[in-house]
Amino acid sequence: MLTFNQVHFYYKKGHSIIEDMSFTVHPGEFVAIVGANGCGKSTIAKLMNGLALPKQGTVKWNALDTSNQSELADIRRQIGYIFQNPEDQLITTTVRDEVLFGLENIAVPRTEMDQRVLEALQAVQMESYIDAEPHQLSGGQKQRVAIAAILAMRPHMIIFDEATSMLDPQGREQVLHIMHTLHQQGITIVHISHHMDEVLTAERVLLIDQGRLIFDGSPHSFFTDIAVADYQLQVPFAVRIHHQLQLAAPVATDWKEAIRRQWSINSNR
Amino acid sequence: MVYQLQQVSVRYQDHDVLQDIYCTIEAGKWISVIGQTGAGKSTLVQVLKGLVDVRKGEYLFNNQTVAKDAKGQIQVRPEIGYVFQYPEHQLFETTVAKELAFAPKQQRWTASEIKQRIEDILPQVGLSEDILELVPFQLSGGQKRRVALASVLMMNPQVLIVDEPIAGLDPVGRTALLQYLHQWQQQENRTVILVSHHLDDVAQYSDEVLLLHQGRLIGQYDPVTLFIEQSHLLEQSGLVLPESIQLLKLIEQCSGQKIEIDSCREHDILAKILPIWHRKEQTFG
Amino acid sequence: MAKPVLIGQYVETHSIVHRLDPRTKLISLLLLMLSFVWLHTGISYLLASVLVIIIVGITRIPVVIFGRGLIPLLLILGFTFVYNVLFTEGTVIGSWGWIQITIEGLENGIRFVWRIILLVILAAILTLTTKPLTLAYGLEKLMSPLRKLNMPIEQFSLMIVIAIRFIPTILEELERILLAQKARGYDITTLRLPQRVLAYIPILVPLLFTIVQRAEHLSDAIDARAYGNGKGRTSYRQLQWQAIDYIVISISIICALGLLLLNIMNI
Repeated sequence: MLTFNQVHFYYKKGHSIIEDMSFTVHPGEFVAIVGANGCGKSTIAKLMNGLALPKQGTVKWNALDTSNQSELADIRRQIGYIFQNPEDQLITTTVRDEVLFGLENIAVPRTEMDQRVLEALQAVQMESYIDAEPHQLSGGQKQRVAIAAILAMRPHMIIFDEATSMLDPQGREQVLHIMHTLHQQGITIVHISHHMDEVLTAERVLLIDQGRLIFDGSPHSFFTDIAVADYQLQVPFAVRIHHQLQLAAPVATDWKEAIRRQWSINSNR
Repeated sequence: MVYQLQQVSVRYQDHDVLQDIYCTIEAGKWISVIGQTGAGKSTLVQVLKGLVDVRKGEYLFNNQTVAKDAKGQIQVRPEIGYVFQYPEHQLFETTVAKELAFAPKQQRWTASEIKQRIEDILPQVGLSEDILELVPFQLSGGQKRRVALASVLMMNPQVLIVDEPIAGLDPVGRTALLQYLHQWQQQENRTVILVSHHLDDVAQYSDEVLLLHQGRLIGQYDPVTLFIEQSHLLEQSGLVLPESIQLLKLIEQCSGQKIEIDSCREHDILAKILPIWHRKEQTFG
Repeated sequence: MAKPVLIGQYVETHSIVHRLDPRTKLISLLLLMLSFVWLHTGISYLLASVLVIIIVGITRIPVVIFGRGLIPLLLILGFTFVYNVLFTEGTVIGSWGWIQITIEGLENGIRFVWRIILLVILAAILTLTTKPLTLAYGLEKLMSPLRKLNMPIEQFSLMIVIAIRFIPTILEELERILLAQKARGYDITTLRLPQRVLAYIPILVPLLFTIVQRAEHLSDAIDARAYGNGKGRTSYRQLQWQAIDYIVISISIICALGLLLLNIMNI
C-alpha cells in the first residue's frame, strides 16, 4: 500500500509543484494518473519511490518512509520504475547483464540469478534476445528489457512513467499488453500517461491540475463528470463515439462490441 | 514543381534500405509517408532532401536530373525544409535569434533580410518577440520544438518534410502542431510531406499517401482508395486502420450496406454514419 | 543509423588469451607496456616486437583488425616522426635551408613510432580479447584494496561500463546531429581546416546537451534499481585464478625484467 500524506513539493520556495496531496494506492490496483503537461504527474511518480523527496508531508510504502535514507533500498526493491526514454534506462552492454544489474544490487545469491533472469525475460517474451546488445533492439524491445530488469527484482508495484510515449504503435501495444498481464498477476500498476485511450482500461483515474489532485474515481465517471478539454486532455475515440452514438453501454475501449450489441438489440425489437 | 524518383535504390552497409522506388511529388499537396518502423520512410524523404546518396536510379526535378556536387553526391535541396524527429536536439546557439538566423546565414542572407523574416515567422509559430534573447536550452519542450520548426521555416521552403513531428508530444500539442502545419500549407500553398505512424492524422490531413513496406513502395494512393478499398494492403504492411475507418467498416457490416465517402476525415465519416445510426435507433426506439 | 565499428571492440576467437582471467591480462600487459617505455637498444626493440607478434599470433585475431586500429593514429605517428627527425641534434646527414636531418633524429623518429605502435597493439589485445564488463569487473577486483582508502571503486567500475555501453548510442546521436545541421545548409565536411575547429560548435553543443540529459536520466534509472552507493552487491561474474594465469603472469614478469635489463646494460 502506497500512501501520500499531505505532500508538498517544490524546487524553489514559492513555485509549488505539488500542493497538499493525499491519496492511497491499494495493493493490486491499476491506477492511471493524468494531467496537462507540467501538472506535476511525473513528479508524483518520482515521489513514489524516493527519486524526489517531499518538502512537507510523507510518502510511505507500507511502513517504510521514503524520507528515511536507510529504507530507500527496500522501497526500491518493492516498487519498480519504468522511464519514458527506452534508451536512457538501459545501463549495461547486454540484455542479460541488464536484468542481472538489479539482482546484483539487491544482493540476490549468485545461485538464483540465472533462473530469475530467464523467468523475467520469458515474462516479456525477450528470452531469445538474452545476449543481444541494446543498440540492436527496437524501442518497444528496449522497454520490455527494462520491464524484465524490474520484474527480476520481484516488485509488488510498478510505476510506468509515460513509458509508451516514445514508442511506435507496435511497441506501445506490446508494453500495454505486458502491463495488463502483470496486473492480472497481482502487481499494482501506476500508469502515468497522456494517451487517454490507455486510461479507459484502468480501474481508477487520478487527475492532477497544477500540482493538486482534482479527481479520483473510475474512468467512467472521469469521462462523464469531467470536461477533459479544460485540462488540455484529449477525449479518446471510444468516448467520442460513445457520446455521438449515444451508446447505452458504459464507456469502454471495446466500442465495437458495444455498437454491435446495440445494433442487434435494435434489430431484434 | 515536380520531384520525381525513378527506380531509386539506397544501400546501407550490406542491404538495400530502399528498392526500386518510383514516385512523383507534386506541388501544393499534403503527402503522407506511412509504413512500419524500418520500412524506409525516413530514408525516402531524406533522398528527396538530398541527404542520402542513391545507389541506383534517378532523382529528377522538373524532369531534369538533379545535379551532383564535386564529390558526386546529390545536392542538398535548399528549397526543401526538413524537420527531424525531436528537432529540439539540433539547437546550439546562445540565443533564439541566433538560432533562427543560422540557416539563412549559411545562404548568405543580409542582416536586414534575416531580421524581417524573423518578424514574419514568430507570430506564425505562436512565439513572441520576447523569446529572441532567451537561451534555447532554457525553454520548455514545446517552445524548443517550435523554435526548431521556425528555424527551418526561416528559409521559406517550398516543400516541408516533417519526420514524425509529434513524437513525444502530448495529444493537445500534437493537434496544435498538425493544425498549424495544415494552416501553413493552405495559406502559403506549399507542399507538406509528413512521415508518421499516426494513421488517424494521415487520414485527417492527407491528399496522397505513400505506403512503404520493407524498403519497397507498395503504392501512392488517395486516402479514400487506400483506407477503404485497399485496406488489406495496410494490414499486410503491419499497420492498423484509423479508428474512424474501423467504425465505418463496422457500420457497413452491421447495416449490410456500403457507405460512400469522399473524405477520410473523422468529421465527414461521422456525418455519414450518424443518420444511419439514428435511423436505426428511431425505427425501433 | 550507424553500425558503430569500434576500434578495439571484442572479437571472439576462443584463443587462450581470451580465456585468461582479466586480471592476468591487465597485470601482464601493464608490466609489458611499462617495460616497453624504456626500450632503447635495437636488440630490445627486436625482441619486444617478436614478443608482440607471438602474442598476436596466439590470439588468432586477424592482423587486419590491428591494422584498422592503427589507422586513426597515422597522423600522430607521422607528426611524431617528423618532429623527431627535424628537431634532434647530432650528426647531420642532409639539410635544406634551415631544415637539418640528423642520424640521431632518424633513429629517434623510428624508435618513437615503433614504440607507440607496440604499445597500441598491446592495448588493443586487451580490449579485443576481453569483454567490456569482464574487463571492468577485473579492474574492480584488482583495485579492491583501494577501498580501504575510501575510494569509490564500485562506482568507478560502473562508470566504465556505462561509457562503453553508450559509445554506439552517442555515435548515432552524432550522426543525427550532423544530418540535421546539414539539412539546415551546414556541411562540416566542406569546410577548410582552419575553420573546422570552431565549425564543430553546432555539432558538439547539441551533442553535449543530449549527453547531459542522458546522464540525468541514467542517474535516476540507476537509483530506481536500488543501486544505492554500490556497496554490498553480489556478483554474477566470478573470477578464479587458474594455473595458466600464474604461468602467464610469471612469463610476463620475466620478459618485462629481461627487456629492462637489456636496456640498462645497453645491449
